[in-house]
Amino acid sequence: MTTFSTREEVDFVVIGSGSAGGIIAKELSTAGLSVVVLEQGPYRKATDFTHDEYSIVMNFELHGGGPDVHRQTFRHHEHETAGPAPDGLSPVRYARGVGGSSVHFTANFWRLRPDDFRERSLLGPISGTNFADWPITYEELEPYYTRVDWEIGVSGAPGPYDAPRSKPFPMPPLPIKSSGVLMEKAAAELGWHAQPQPLAILSQPHNGRAPCMNCGYCMWYGCEVGAKSSTLAAMIPLAEASGNCEIRPLSVVTRIETNDKGRASEVVYLDADGNEQAQKAKAVVLSANGAESARLLLMSASPQHPDGLANSSGFVGRNLMLNQHALAIGVYEHPLNDFKGVQVSRVIHDFYETDEQRGYYGGGGIDARPLFSATPILHSFMGMDPDVPRWGKAFKDTLAHDFTRSLSFVSSSTSLAMDRNNITLDPESKDAWGRPAIRMTYMDHDDDLSMSEFFEDRCMDLHEAAGAAKMWRFGVKPLTGGEHLLGTCRMGSDPATSVVDSKHRSHDVPNLFMCDGGSMVTSGRGQPTHTIMALAFRAADHIKTAARAGDI
Amino acid sequence: MTPEDHSRRQFLKSAGAMASAHYLRALAPAAATIAQAACSARDEGRPFTALSEGEAADFAAIASRIVPTTDTPGATEAGVIWFIDKAFSDPMSDQLEATREQLAAFNAAIGERGTGAARFSELSETEQDEFLGDQEGTPFFRLVWSMTMFGMFAMPKYGGNRDMVGWDLVGFVGDQGAWQYPFGYYDAQVHGDNTNDDV
Repeated sequence: MTTFSTREEVDFVVIGSGSAGGIIAKELSTAGLSVVVLEQGPYRKATDFTHDEYSIVMNFELHGGGPDVHRQTFRHHEHETAGPAPDGLSPVRYARGVGGSSVHFTANFWRLRPDDFRERSLLGPISGTNFADWPITYEELEPYYTRVDWEIGVSGAPGPYDAPRSKPFPMPPLPIKSSGVLMEKAAAELGWHAQPQPLAILSQPHNGRAPCMNCGYCMWYGCEVGAKSSTLAAMIPLAEASGNCEIRPLSVVTRIETNDKGRASEVVYLDADGNEQAQKAKAVVLSANGAESARLLLMSASPQHPDGLANSSGFVGRNLMLNQHALAIGVYEHPLNDFKGVQVSRVIHDFYETDEQRGYYGGGGIDARPLFSATPILHSFMGMDPDVPRWGKAFKDTLAHDFTRSLSFVSSSTSLAMDRNNITLDPESKDAWGRPAIRMTYMDHDDDLSMSEFFEDRCMDLHEAAGAAKMWRFGVKPLTGGEHLLGTCRMGSDPATSVVDSKHRSHDVPNLFMCDGGSMVTSGRGQPTHTIMALAFRAADHIKTAARAGDI
Repeated sequence: MTPEDHSRRQFLKSAGAMASAHYLRALAPAAATIAQAACSARDEGRPFTALSEGEAADFAAIASRIVPTTDTPGATEAGVIWFIDKAFSDPMSDQLEATREQLAAFNAAIGERGTGAARFSELSETEQDEFLGDQEGTPFFRLVWSMTMFGMFAMPKYGGNRDMVGWDLVGFVGDQGAWQYPFGYYDAQVHGDNTNDDV
């Protein structure tokens, strides 16, 4: 296994090994550049992944612990003092370990569409927001979406509203589930279109990896056969095989050090024993996710960069977008057994585009899945009919009857970029490593809430049309945390209103590159990972070109 | 919306739903519960690790009202009490003393009722249900409720879900590996003409 000394100046330190970092590490190392990947979490192998709901869902095994460890704070508005999130969860939720959240994601892979990149031009300004066009077009990103499809591994089939693609899906969709059949039936009745959900899960052997065995443990679990297309399964082995890449797990980064020329010189981290180390590098790629990348830049302030590294615009941490979600649960006459197989087999994209007749910005998609009824603990906490007593015989009878018969229609939708929604350093709290805690300030734009309420109505329409025996909704509420961490280091052409340029290079620090969900200018429609991975392949191409030209 | 938030709402919604009942004293069910707990301890070949016999009897009795034994196994048969004891002996040991105090306060309220019973496990099932109806919004009840769900549905290695009776109850065939479609009633109707061959 390749290792590097911390005193040896490697070509690149990549901070984070998730959806973006894993791809960039593979791309740079296989191009002959030396790479050290600093990953805060452990190096789990596929065989380490279990179906242990109590450990994984209830005790946050893949998150590396819950709020007591990570100690993030939350507030809705700037005038409030932030504290623990009201729901008792960590506001910023992601998996720590090699492969990052691509290990535990549900693997819904939606491309953006051409209009997503130019919505500001098409729709005009939205007051109180930083709504903007992207500095790149769909056409520029399309070849990289296709590389994700083929190199990471995406299954699916064309749908009526799909963005243009240069190559077909590399493999067919996974089998339709009962939830998908009921969605198709309902959609046909309502005049909408249910199409196979594109998933970063293999339906056939691909690139030497085994296909899905329909075990049902996708959402929040790691895949023990490597069929889920995490960077752990698809990219890290190639990076290591290059002989140019060292994955250094249990390395908690505390600072990117800059020299008197204003260039990044080394990355300071705590090793597995808690000892401070510093890895020298010619250049740094920051791919720690939309919350952690922002925190690290803010923590890396110096006399030359008093407001945080790469933050002359003040946009580091700003414009946080989490994506709204709504859902309705229905219980059906016959068992669906939707706990088997992948979460989602069908999706509806009839409401993707902003419809000005609705009177607000936004769009999204609706999918059909077991959600809470994928596993019984989660079902008992979250998936039960609210009109049934919470204990006793009626409770037990409902548990016994409804678990196999439940499905959720779930929407994912837009969030608008605003100054008021951001990641900052908590002035008081520290995490378990002594770093300033992440402080999230977030209050959804009214349009985001209106959009989500619209979707909750449509989810109920679907249950009605599918013939649910009973159904209920939760009501849309302002978010107090999330898994999609977007917009906080946005890409743009103007250094006054963006953090990185269109090639993911910092406007301020010439040998610092950033690529993760933070790069996104708009939120898409609520399934961002395909886009994050496509951006990573594209960023890597530009970084390789720069490195070859001696321009890092 | 989160697990805590949602369950809180549901608790509030169901609070007060229990009909008022008579405070009849019936020792038989309580004795049976204690006997069951002791019996389970014998089966395990060990005493409880963290809990006293009395505490275990109370937790077991609460769990058995949350998921009662009917014509199908409930919390008692799942061995929920063994999950609870195991949890308090290790991962939640730091919460044991605080929970003990909550249990003592919970039992003190029973003593104050003047029915002659000093603790929950000494009440009849009817009295237990009535008493729990007043408790379901409390942090203590929510804790025991949560632990009952874990003891029903977590992997058997955590002490509960014996012989996977929790999973059998809801029709979950567990964590076994591979499945072949069709998975359920509705996809069985369409498989053969609507799957993997349309690309």
